[in-house]
Amino acid sequence: MDVAIIDYKMSNLFSVQAACEKVGLSSIITSDNNEILDAKICILPGVGAFGEAMKSLRESKLDKAIYEFVETGKPFVGICLGLQLLFDSSEEFGNYSGLGLIKGKVKKFKSHSYNSTKYPVPQISWNKINKTNGSWDDSLLYNNTSGDFMYFVHSFFVIPENESVMLSKTTYGNTEYCSSIQQNNIFACQFHPEKSGEIGLNIYKNLKKRYC
Amino acid sequence: MKHIRIIPRLDIKGPNLVKGIHLEGLRVLGKPEDFTKLYYEQGADELIYQDTVASLYQRNSLTDIITKTAKNIFIPITVGGGLRTLDDINKVLRAGADKVAINTAAIKNPDFITEASHAFGSSTIVIAIETIKQPDNTYLAYTDNGREYTGIDAISWAKEAQSRGAGEILLTSIGQEGTGNGFDLNLIKRVSNLVTIPIIAHGGAANDSHIYEAINGSGADAVAIASMLHYAAINKIDSIVSNNNNEGNMEFLKKKGSFKMFGKENISEIKNQLNKQDIPLRILN
Amino acid sequence: MKNIEAFYNLPSEVVFCKKCVMSNQRPASIPEFKHNRKRDGAKYMQIDVEGICDACHQAEVKDTIEWEDREKELKDLLDKHRRNDGKYDCLVPGSGGKDSVYQAHILKYKYGMHPLLTTWPPILYTDYGYENYKNWIEVGGFDNITYKQNGKVMKLLTRLAIENLFHPFQTFIIGQKNIAPKIAANFGIDLVFYGENEAEYGNPIADNSKSLRDKSYYTMDHIDEMLLAGTPVSEILDNHDVDLVDLNTFLPLPAKDFEKTNMQIHYLGYYLKWIPQEAYYYAVEHINFKARPFRTQGTYSKYNSIDDKIDDLHYYTTYIKYGIGRATYDASQEIRNKHLTREEGQLLVNRFDGEFPDRYFDEIMEYIGMKPERFYELCDEFRSPHLWNKDKGEWKLRHNVNKTGIDD
Repeated sequence: MDVAIIDYKMSNLFSVQAACEKVGLSSIITSDNNEILDAKICILPGVGAFGEAMKSLRESKLDKAIYEFVETGKPFVGICLGLQLLFDSSEEFGNYSGLGLIKGKVKKFKSHSYNSTKYPVPQISWNKINKTNGSWDDSLLYNNTSGDFMYFVHSFFVIPENESVMLSKTTYGNTEYCSSIQQNNIFACQFHPEKSGEIGLNIYKNLKKRYC
Repeated sequence: MKHIRIIPRLDIKGPNLVKGIHLEGLRVLGKPEDFTKLYYEQGADELIYQDTVASLYQRNSLTDIITKTAKNIFIPITVGGGLRTLDDINKVLRAGADKVAINTAAIKNPDFITEASHAFGSSTIVIAIETIKQPDNTYLAYTDNGREYTGIDAISWAKEAQSRGAGEILLTSIGQEGTGNGFDLNLIKRVSNLVTIPIIAHGGAANDSHIYEAINGSGADAVAIASMLHYAAINKIDSIVSNNNNEGNMEFLKKKGSFKMFGKENISEIKNQLNKQDIPLRILN
Repeated sequence: MKNIEAFYNLPSEVVFCKKCVMSNQRPASIPEFKHNRKRDGAKYMQIDVEGICDACHQAEVKDTIEWEDREKELKDLLDKHRRNDGKYDCLVPGSGGKDSVYQAHILKYKYGMHPLLTTWPPILYTDYGYENYKNWIEVGGFDNITYKQNGKVMKLLTRLAIENLFHPFQTFIIGQKNIAPKIAANFGIDLVFYGENEAEYGNPIADNSKSLRDKSYYTMDHIDEMLLAGTPVSEILDNHDVDLVDLNTFLPLPAKDFEKTNMQIHYLGYYLKWIPQEAYYYAVEHINFKARPFRTQGTYSKYNSIDDKIDDLHYYTTYIKYGIGRATYDASQEIRNKHLTREEGQLLVNRFDGEFPDRYFDEIMEYIGMKPERFYELCDEFRSPHLWNKDKGEWKLRHNVNKTGIDD
């Protein structure tokens, strides 16, 4: 199996699978540790509350599966909540600890006005991903251009301790934040590549080209 | 920059795309999949599918069309119409929807909003508010696709919906809907002043100026448009009128007419116009 | 079952059409002046051996007609009557509902005629109905003669019609049918256009192959033969404080006066394919017509017959007398026009038919000077035993289209 999409009862998995299918990646939606470890690529999607998600991952021992998969060095992709869960902690509804794979924390947007424009929360909109200092050539974004529009829907954003893991940044009102990271074999993005049209599909195409 | 969204809204009855006025009428304009394909190519930012008769017949039947769409079209899909239980929502999400729009069920039982946002995440839950302006300039909320009077003040309901966990508001002016007379700007402004979650304005758009007004100065974060796009699209789509269709008013398609002043602009033209006026949005290259 | 009395000469066996949701208990239109409590001479919807009703057959025929030829006939007729000397050349009666909007507008703006509109106002205008009426005239751009009735007489006759016939709508229907010929005669207009031919709904009286309306609806031969509210005119004059001049408003044009004119009364529905829902879209498009801002009680629709507050009550009485509510009427029409499937019609009937129209009920009772209790008493008096029976102390239909009636 090319791709294992982790099912921890927290999201719409259909589109992730549809995107894989569209680019020719075989995929399985699973909560079985063995099936996950066997795949060439692992995707952790997610929409919803951080606390609930961590609870679900721990109870089903899927956190173990994630740690083991990341150890193998095979490509691991986190999407939206799947990005946030990789971090140390989140301030959502109290303080929750995450998977701790990436050093840093998760913070909440505040709705605000900026330059006479109202910025509601959650951010539900297309937004630009811009290059940070590094190059995208070694990442899944190698076919994308700085300034490409991706689809975002989130109330929280990540703040990595180590700026060098930041792959792209995005601005929402008065807040500039990290919209995707890369750390060794982990690529994770705040936006939804499977909901970002053909430009988002690029990322899935790159997965296929590089790893399958 | 806040990038606004242009969202085509498709009202569905059975296998057909229908378009009413004041949320009434079953005029068939064609097959939904033909329209969504066109809109995706022209740069639609999201899609809304509304089952117009789910509440009326107490039946849910959009899953096939959601799945078909989600396999080929990679932008967010919001689905509404007759979603009454957590199970209804789950089915629709599993079929490929990203967000759900709830109206009647939320008004009948506001706790449902809290339950749904806990179960599926706030940003998945859109509260749809259908309003009619009263002679004293207040706005009342209606349920069942504009059929049932509730007596509930729509503006304060929007605020309550947010406090109960809604992630977004889909705000419809029934009086303007389908007429092409422009959005109800006063309605949008009043809700925008009270809530801090995104607002999708719906009802009345006929051209890009209407959309400009809704965004610049009234506070809409996105617009849902229907007649304006569909009546233009039918000229590009060859809808075959089948005599076997018993589920909607096919007379308009048979005549191949035009309707009002609709049909002048498609999505990319709309976006280009708005872009020229410095409205930030996603332009397809 | 066969020994249970059926009022009003209704067929003793209840049969539902297999295509739409109408039953054979549906009354055909009768001239209101012959309408008495027992409905002598009344005819009802025919359902053939295959189980298909006349109205559905008529709908099938409608699909086979060469409408281009019919339109040519219309154009020829209009060409003969069009006037360019500053005088009206046709008359369109209506109250500003979607149908009269469509008729008037299309005759003026598509076919170049010069219509005069005439309105016999509803007993109690709804406010959105009145807005539509104004827009018809002001946005549509027409002259309109509105014949406002003597309020006292209107109330009296409406109340009597309910007492004697359980028919709240008679005073409106009478005027609607009569006012056009009288105004046309007065103004010297030869061409009068009504909308739909009643045959579309299964009336045997109207002949579908002709465009002309049957004279029995709008002329009278002898005043002694006329009934108002089911009562001979002479009796009303004797028992109530009204004059002949008061009642004349409600009576049709005498036949001899009609003979003196060259008047022709046509159905536009003979010449142009009539799709009620398309008339709605047309009316919105051209005069900003607005649907009712809530569902009509007793049905699912929002734009059919919404000008008169008493209309809702009228359909409640048809439910009592014939077991047929407004949802049945609306759904049957939309099934025949292929907007709905029969299954959908059944669901709608189940959900809405017979819903009591309480919204305007108290206002109506006060207006006509009747006590609500009296109305409820009359409900029970007018229920035909072959249609109704009590189930656990509540009145229920013996038969309905979903086969969930007491005797089904």
